Amino acid sequence: MISYFKYILFFLTLFNAKVFSQIVIDNQYNYSLRLYNAEQYFDAITEFKRLLFFDKGKKYEYNANQYIAMSYKMGAKFSDAIRYFTIAEMNARDNDELFDSKIEIVRTNILRRTISHAIDLLDSMKADERFSSKSGEISYWKGWAYIFNDKWDKATREFSKVDSNKTLTEFCNNVQREKYSVTFADIISHIFPGSGQIYTGHYFSGILSLGWNILWGYLTINSFIDNRIFDGLVIGDLLWLRFYNGNLENSVKYAEVENLYITNRAMDFLQNGYLGKKP
Amino acid sequence: MKNSFFIFLIFSSIIFSQEKNYLVSENLFSPSNIKIFADFLFDQKDYLRAADEYERYLSFVPNDTIEFKIALTYSLMNNFNEAAKKFNVISKNSSFYKPAKIEFLKSIFQTGDIAEFRYKYSEGKVNKSYLDSSGMTSLYMYSFLLTGEPLPYEDEFIINFPASERQKIKNFYEWGKDPPYNSQLKAAIFSAVIPGLGKIYTNEYWDGIFAFIATLGTGYLSYDNFKAGHNLRGWIFGSLTVGFYGGNIYGSATAVQIFNAHIRFNFINDLKSYLEDKNYFLKIFN
Amino acid sequence: MKSNYSIFWINLSFQFLFSLSITAQTDWVKWGKADYPYHINSPVQQRDYSFDMRNPGRFVIKSLANAYWFFISDVDGDNCSFSPTCSYFFIQSVEETNIFQGSLMFFDRFTRDMDIIGKPDHYPRVPDGHLYDPPSLYILDSNSINYISPSVVVKNE
Repeated sequence: MISYFKYILFFLTLFNAKVFSQIVIDNQYNYSLRLYNAEQYFDAITEFKRLLFFDKGKKYEYNANQYIAMSYKMGAKFSDAIRYFTIAEMNARDNDELFDSKIEIVRTNILRRTISHAIDLLDSMKADERFSSKSGEISYWKGWAYIFNDKWDKATREFSKVDSNKTLTEFCNNVQREKYSVTFADIISHIFPGSGQIYTGHYFSGILSLGWNILWGYLTINSFIDNRIFDGLVIGDLLWLRFYNGNLENSVKYAEVENLYITNRAMDFLQNGYLGKKP
Repeated sequence: MKNSFFIFLIFSSIIFSQEKNYLVSENLFSPSNIKIFADFLFDQKDYLRAADEYERYLSFVPNDTIEFKIALTYSLMNNFNEAAKKFNVISKNSSFYKPAKIEFLKSIFQTGDIAEFRYKYSEGKVNKSYLDSSGMTSLYMYSFLLTGEPLPYEDEFIINFPASERQKIKNFYEWGKDPPYNSQLKAAIFSAVIPGLGKIYTNEYWDGIFAFIATLGTGYLSYDNFKAGHNLRGWIFGSLTVGFYGGNIYGSATAVQIFNAHIRFNFINDLKSYLEDKNYFLKIFN
Repeated sequence: MKSNYSIFWINLSFQFLFSLSITAQTDWVKWGKADYPYHINSPVQQRDYSFDMRNPGRFVIKSLANAYWFFISDVDGDNCSFSPTCSYFFIQSVEETNIFQGSLMFFDRFTRDMDIIGKPDHYPRVPDGHLYDPPSLYILDSNSINYISPSVVVKNE
C-alpha cells in the first residue's frame, strides 16, 4: 500500500509541476501585455523576450514576436519592427495570423517610406490563393502606400476597389485635382518667362522674372544689332541665360513647393482627422 | 492491478513528454533565472537590457564577476562614462579590482578627456609595476601624441613601449615632434608676388590658377577701360582687381591653416587606428 | 594557474565566438513612444529676410543683402554650389570678423567658386548636394577649424 502511495505522490508532483510552469508562462504573457497596453514599450519588449526565452513549449511564439514588433513600431523603430513581424510570420499558426503579420510588415514599410517593398508584398499577397478573401483589405493598404508615395491618382483607383471606402476615394481624388501640374508650369515658362510662377500663384516673382528677361533680352539683341558681338555674348550668356534658367528653375520649384503644401495638408488631416485604419 | 497501475503511469509519462514541457523554477524572476536570461541578452548584444538584468541579479546576490560584466556591457555600448563609473566601484577585496582599475582608466581615455585620463593615471590606486605590466603606461605616453602638446625626450618616451612596436612609435614621435606643416607667411608672400602661387604651394592647383585669372583678368580690364577713357568702368574693375588680389593673399594664408589641419587630422586618424589595432597596448592576461 | 579574471575573459571570448550576429544597437538607449508625423519635410530652405538692428553698419549690410536676395538671387535660380551661399557667407564673415576681413574672405570665396574643375572633390557635402564651406574655416583662427573630410556628408550645418 505504501509503495502505491509513493507512486501516486510522484505522479501528482509531476502533474502539478506541469500545470504550475504553464501558469508561470501565462502570467508572464499577461504581465508583458499590461506593459504594452500601458505604452511602456521598451520594458514590454524586455518582458516578451523573457517570455520567449522561457517558453520552451512555444505557446506564445507568434503572439510575443508580434507584440515585440508592435512595440518597436510604436517607438518608430521600423526596421526592428519588420524583423520581428517576419519572425512572427514564420511562427504563424494559421492563414489569419500569417495575413496579419504580412499586413503589419506592409504597414511598417509604408511608415518607413520603403513603398516599393510594401507594394511588392501586397502584389504577392494578391496573387496568393490563401488570401483570396482579403482582396479588399489588400487594395485598401495599397491605396495607403500610394498616398505615402504622393501618387494620389493611383491611390484613388485602389480605394475605389474597396466598396466601403468612398470617403478616401473622394478625398484622394480632390487632392489630385488640387495639385499643380509641374510639367505644365515648366512648359509655359519655356515659352513665356514668368508664367510658370504666375500659374502657381507667385505673381510678384513671375512679373520680376519676366521683367529681367525682357531687360537682358533687349540689351543682348541690341548689342548684336549694333555689331557689339562680344558685349552681346557676355550679356546673353552671363545675364539673360542666367535669368531665363532661373525662371525655369523657379517655375518647377514653386509648383513642387505648392504641391508639397497640398500633400502635407492632406497628410495632416489623414493622420489627425481621419478615423479609419491607418498605417 | 499493480501491473495496470504501472501501465497507466507509463502511458501518462508518454503523454507528458508529447507536451514538450519541462520543469521551470516557479519564478521567472528568481536570481538564477534572471542570470541566465541576462546572459542570453548579452549574447544577443542587447546590452542595455542585459545590464538592467545583471543589476537586478546583484540586488539579490552581490557578485563581483557580475559587477565587472555590467561595467563591460556599458563599455561595449560605447557608453564610456557609465562604464568608468561601474569599473570604479569594484571593491578592493575583489580579484577583479586591478583589472577593473585598468578598464576604468581605459574608459576615461575612450571618453576623449585626455587630461582627466592623465590625472586619474597619476592619482593611481594601483601600483606602478602593475600599470607598466598591464600596458597602461604605454597608453599614458601615447596620449601625448594625440593632444599635440610638447613631447617628452625621445628615449624617455620610446622606452615605455614594447620592443616590437618601437620603430612605429618612433615614426609617430618624429611626426609629432616636427610635423610637416606649411608656412602661412610663405604662402602669403608667394601669393603677393604671383597671384595664386600661395594656393599652389598648398596643393590647391586649380584654386591658384583661377585666382591668377581673376586678378589678372580684372586688372587687364581695368587698364583697358582707363586706356579707352571709360574711367568709371576702369575704377570698378580696378577695385575688383584689388579685392581679388587681397583675397588671394588672405585665401592662401587660410588655405595653409586648412592644409595643416588636414594633415593633422590624417595623423590623428592613423594614431587612433593603430591604437585600436594594438588594443590600447593593454594586456588581457596577467 | 590562471586567475579568475583570465578565466572570465576566456569564457567571454567563447561567448563572442558562438553568439548570434543580431545587432541590437537600437536598444542601447532607452526609448519611449514616438510621434511619427506623416507629412514630408520640405527640401527648400526659407530665406531669413529679417533686419539686423544691432548697429547701423549691420542694418545697412543686411538690408542690401535682403534687397539682393529679393530682386535678384531669388529670381535667377540656384547658381551657387556652396552652402552657405556666397551672399550668406559674406554676411556671416562680416559678423564673425569685421567688414574688411569679411570682404577679403568673400573675394577668396568668389575665386574658389569660380574653380569649376578642382572644387567638386575638395569639400564635404550637405544632404542636398551643395558643398559645405562655412566661414569658420577662414577666420585665421586655427582653433575654429573643424576639418571634415571631403567624403563626408554633413548633416547638421
